[in-house]
Amino acid sequence: MTSESSKISTEAPVGAVLVVGGGIAGVQAALDAADAGFHVHLVESSPAIGGRMAQLDKTFPTNDCSMCILSPKLVECGRHLDIDVLTCAELIGLEGEPGRFTARIRRRARYVDINKCTGCGDCLQQCPVRYQPRFRVAREPVRLSEDEDVLVGSLIAKHGRSRSALLRVMQEVNAALHYLPAPVLQRLADEFAVPLSVLYRIGTFYTAFSLTPRGRHTISVCTGTACHIKGAPKLVEELQRELGIAVGGTTPDSAFSLQTVRCLGCCALAPVVKVDNRIYGGVKSGDISKIVKDHI
Amino acid sequence: MPKVRTRQELETLRRELMARRDSAATCISVCAGSGCLACGGAELIESFRDCLSGIEPADTVGLRVTGCHGFCERGPLVVVYPERIFYQRVRPADVPDIVAAAVGRIAPVERLLYRDPVTGEVIRHEYDIPFYRKQRRLVFENNGLLDPMRIEDYIARGGYAAMAKALFDMTPTGIIAEVKRAGLRGRGGAGFPTGLKWESAAQAHGGDKYVICNADEGDPGAFMDRSLVEGNPHSVIEGMMIGARGIGASEGYVYIRTEYPLAVERLENAIAQVRAFGLLGSRILGSDFSFDVHVALGSGAFVCGESSALVASIEGNPGEPRAKHIHLAESGLWNKPTVLNNVETWANVPLIISRGAEWFAAIGTENSRGTKLFSLVGTVRNTGLVEVPMGTPLGEIVNDIGGGVPEGRSLKAVQTGGPSGGCIPAELMQLPVDFDSLQDAGSMMGSGGMIVMDDSACMVDVARYFVEFLVDESCGKCSSCREGLKHMHAILNRICAGHGRESDIALLEDLCDVIANASLCGLGTSAPNPVLSTLRYFRGEYEAHIHDRKCPAKVCKALLRYEIIPENCTGCGACRKRCPAEAISGEKKAVHVIDPGRCIKCGMCVDACKFDAVGVS
Repeated sequence: MTSESSKISTEAPVGAVLVVGGGIAGVQAALDAADAGFHVHLVESSPAIGGRMAQLDKTFPTNDCSMCILSPKLVECGRHLDIDVLTCAELIGLEGEPGRFTARIRRRARYVDINKCTGCGDCLQQCPVRYQPRFRVAREPVRLSEDEDVLVGSLIAKHGRSRSALLRVMQEVNAALHYLPAPVLQRLADEFAVPLSVLYRIGTFYTAFSLTPRGRHTISVCTGTACHIKGAPKLVEELQRELGIAVGGTTPDSAFSLQTVRCLGCCALAPVVKVDNRIYGGVKSGDISKIVKDHI
Repeated sequence: MPKVRTRQELETLRRELMARRDSAATCISVCAGSGCLACGGAELIESFRDCLSGIEPADTVGLRVTGCHGFCERGPLVVVYPERIFYQRVRPADVPDIVAAAVGRIAPVERLLYRDPVTGEVIRHEYDIPFYRKQRRLVFENNGLLDPMRIEDYIARGGYAAMAKALFDMTPTGIIAEVKRAGLRGRGGAGFPTGLKWESAAQAHGGDKYVICNADEGDPGAFMDRSLVEGNPHSVIEGMMIGARGIGASEGYVYIRTEYPLAVERLENAIAQVRAFGLLGSRILGSDFSFDVHVALGSGAFVCGESSALVASIEGNPGEPRAKHIHLAESGLWNKPTVLNNVETWANVPLIISRGAEWFAAIGTENSRGTKLFSLVGTVRNTGLVEVPMGTPLGEIVNDIGGGVPEGRSLKAVQTGGPSGGCIPAELMQLPVDFDSLQDAGSMMGSGGMIVMDDSACMVDVARYFVEFLVDESCGKCSSCREGLKHMHAILNRICAGHGRESDIALLEDLCDVIANASLCGLGTSAPNPVLSTLRYFRGEYEAHIHDRKCPAKVCKALLRYEIIPENCTGCGACRKRCPAEAISGEKKAVHVIDPGRCIKCGMCVDACKFDAVGVS
């Protein structure tokens, strides 16, 4: 800038800075300039500042979480009294000389009065257009095994592609395959036109779903209150020892998966162990090896 | 299948069905609830089928496969009508004897009859057994009397008459007024007046309205709703239809746990049958009322029992609650006015409509009308399902119906209300069980789980158990609940492991305060209850863990030591063979020793020893 400083007008510079582009670089520049005492106009063409960084998981070289770096800066930028955030806006002309520019900016209509909007998200719920990916990552089409392909096809034929059918379809996939394979989730995301992250959110929220393959037999120890006070924790320990796996695990030969379940509603028979759909009542630690052998 | 097109046709059908049912005929009713099926009920039913098919002439003895009778402790249960002879713990080998006694109308098979554990007296009839005698069964009345897979049974017992009455003799506002006058309060736990809820939904704007039945019975230790759906699904459907007529809804959902496969099967079967009979669909019984019911399956999330989370789950989203500044009655499922009630609440509705609000309001207490179902479980002699009028003293339920705790034990506490409830100590056994009294005692009604604990239960461990449950089940939306519970769990773990700090009790109380006040939904705000109520009534136990590093109930493993009592040990070696850690050594017929370094405190040696020679200190 030193070579150009000679061109700076002798008139007193105006105390405002224009930053074009509201990605992480623009946000940081705006913050630095504003903290140095300038009034900043931050122009961003998309409806929100933040740019690419929000799409990244980790940052080089420290592996810090990118959102953890970005989001405080966004909040600071949004709240800074000396930063004027102009979203949905583009620079269409610049005249003048260093120290005294006149910029022309076109703002597109937002159709929302930002002075009144509280960001409650209710309009989002009501909008009939559900999902429009703003960026697409090129990838190969999802390949499913023949069985999976037939299964997904038949479930969609049965339940349709409505948003409320999605959970039911996931339940039936999980019931048929004992887990939700990643390619099937990707296919469902495409079929239902929802982001894959929504399926993972559902898949990890509900305990009935598993993202990893399970064994042929599922052993569930009821850890409801009645079973707990009648000794269910000891049964869990005994099963872990007998099978050599932790709760949630599957034996290397894929024969058994072990899980705990909160109440099977057979409290009168406590403590209760369920193998697949067979319920064993009044189980003692000593009965465990026999119950396991019944199913080998 | 004949479609029932008018109210007249329904009555005609009922008369025909009644005529075919001879109340004096011998009928063997076998319980096919989940409990009885788990202890051999399925094989038993097969044996009865085989055995009865060989009887001449056919149909001299009927067989009825019914829903849960309630006395699960003694299952599988068989009741022979018309005398109502009660057989318990019946095995397939007993079938010929029972059939012979029933066919010949001779004396019942004595070895299978119930014997009073206190007096030793043999009791023949179902209604004389103390467990049943003290109950008042209204909602549960038909459970042992009808086959849940046959709508004909329900119609013959007066089913869908209340719906017909609501359609033709009452106006929608009249239905709501009747429910309001009856004083019915929600049986799901919070006890909100049902009539008020219906009224605001009826007045809410919006064309489509919905009714939802909450059958996501997540409270550990509660299975009333499961038994009701398994044993009498039509009563729930009829209740929903009446509610739908009242508020002007034409669609309903039953949200049911996937962990209850039998209940789902029977509910789906029931819905299919009602549809086939034309009692569900458009223009029911020729009126202008159209209604249909769908089944939505849960996926194993406790929080989905919360109304707004349940609605989110039906919509296909993760079940996270939302702030209820606007009630579901105004903006619920798909933002339409929605009435959501528990299974038991819906099942009460046909009773109120058919027998009248005055009849219903005469049962129970001033502010809690009607009866309530409880699942009486834990360390109590008679476990099972109990229905009593509201206001029955807790001690009467536990001691008179439940038969008290087993011999040699003493009652310590009764836990009600699931993870949102609390522990009521033995001193408060005269407490009347209704919504308000339980609330005042630091617990809550909840959906009706009642877990009896004797002196072998450690109250710190119980609190830790519930907090652990809630840590797993917190949806994670509010940080006070998500993080606060984790910290409470860590503190309780520390106390149970013998590393409790002097300041821990005060810290727990602080955390309870924050979680209760800063969380959004009912799950979060009531989450501290198990800790608060045990701190209130059993503070001494917390102090014993922290100050003396002792677990008075001998539950917390880290504070225990297993030892062989030399005087009792015969050297039989049973414990040595069973010990999974090879921590027990000793010669044959000599006193054995447990190596504390290797002992993993699994307790197998205690189970294995026949001479009480393994002591825990």
